[in-house]
Amino acid sequence: MSVHAQEGHPLTGTWSGDWGPTPTQRNHITLVMSWDGKNVTGTINPGPDAIQIGTVALDVTNWTVRIEADGKDQSGKAVHISAEGKIDDLSSAHRKLAGTWTQGTTKGDFRISRD
Amino acid sequence: MTALFFAEPVLSQRSFSSTYDSSRQVKVQGIVTRIDWVTPTAFFFIDVRDATGTVANWAVDIGSPIELERDGWKRSALRIGDAVAVEGVPARNEARQASAKSVVLTRTGKRLFAPSTTRRAAAPPAPAPRWPDGQIRLGPPPGKTGYWGSASTKILVENTAAKIPMSDDGLLVNIADADKVAPFLPWAKAVYEYRQRRFLRDDPYSRCVPAGGPRQFQMPNGFQFIEQKDLGRILVFLGGGNRNWRVIFTDGRPLGTAAEAVPSYYGFSVGRWEKDTLVVESLGYNEKFWLTSAGLPHTEALHLTERFTRSDLNTLKYEVTVEDPRTYTRPWTGSWTIQWVPDQDIQEYFCEDNSDFVR
Repeated sequence: MSVHAQEGHPLTGTWSGDWGPTPTQRNHITLVMSWDGKNVTGTINPGPDAIQIGTVALDVTNWTVRIEADGKDQSGKAVHISAEGKIDDLSSAHRKLAGTWTQGTTKGDFRISRD
Repeated sequence: MTALFFAEPVLSQRSFSSTYDSSRQVKVQGIVTRIDWVTPTAFFFIDVRDATGTVANWAVDIGSPIELERDGWKRSALRIGDAVAVEGVPARNEARQASAKSVVLTRTGKRLFAPSTTRRAAAPPAPAPRWPDGQIRLGPPPGKTGYWGSASTKILVENTAAKIPMSDDGLLVNIADADKVAPFLPWAKAVYEYRQRRFLRDDPYSRCVPAGGPRQFQMPNGFQFIEQKDLGRILVFLGGGNRNWRVIFTDGRPLGTAAEAVPSYYGFSVGRWEKDTLVVESLGYNEKFWLTSAGLPHTEALHLTERFTRSDLNTLKYEVTVEDPRTYTRPWTGSWTIQWVPDQDIQEYFCEDNSDFVR
């Protein structure tokens, strides 16, 4: 375990990993999230193609997370993202979040870990 | 006694509750093979032979050598080759390690390392020392030495809380009492309970991370104030862990905001005197430490107001108000007292001192 663990809100920080419909079709994703005391806000893939996260719901009874976001795909077409996953290894600096990821009509899974 | 053969590194600063299982007892007898008379925790090691003739080496934790020496014990009380009988609390993991409750030297029947009934008393009662301008001195009287030693508690709970059953390092007897400790937001309470259920084993302090926030005043080796009045600052030298220091500016500079500060373990602090109380406000904390050994969380929005009141030579009252609207529903206050250790200096203690042996 790193000595640089982040011991505050468990979602705060930069997370990276991938999502995709199959084990071989993967897309790199970066999520940056922060807790303001009332809501978790954040961005998917910060930069020119950034998508602002609409809502993040954390269920602390089982450490599951639901993320909803609306953005545009590479062709400029509106796309809705819905992800639902569970935090694993909560006490680690590099805790993990994995589950299902739906982007538009494409369904798959995602795996990210906190940087 | 079940023979235990698994090995796990012993972390130097782990809390008692994360290391030992108070619900169990262990009795072992053996021959002393090694004595580690080091801070923060002294150990000796014994070879224990079981009924089959198999020999296993046990580590026996006998506590702080500073406390032992105050009780009149010396390293020479025990010698390599001595036979001893040990009763104690075993480690939670399967390491051959125990915290001693009783150590008896077999050849004499004498009980070793027991607390003294005639422990050296604190300095005689006296008023708090003052500077020529009348302000309270936080350090020793002129021409004397000394430092601030043991805190009256290792836990931090809201002052209004009723007595909550918990271990000395804050492990709740009943997890349902978490609500009584502090006014947590739901996520913070869940994190606190998660840490409690894991017996506080994830404590960053056990990995030699500095004891930031109020916990710095609950460390085993104490601390010193160095008042540099001409420079408008007070240095706090911390005797334990990484032997860090903290700066409290008393030159009137503004506190600023958390967003402007470089996040750190001790934050950015400004102090002022309100009659005989030093009031210190701090912000700019990072999120890499726990507020106490018991696992209280916080965020970078943390703002602490600390009040240091030296009511007499021997007593420092420490009161801290925790404001962190991202973690707690409202500000809350906890407090404890700290005892003056007269005529002594802080002994050397580095976090890694107990990390060199593996069980």
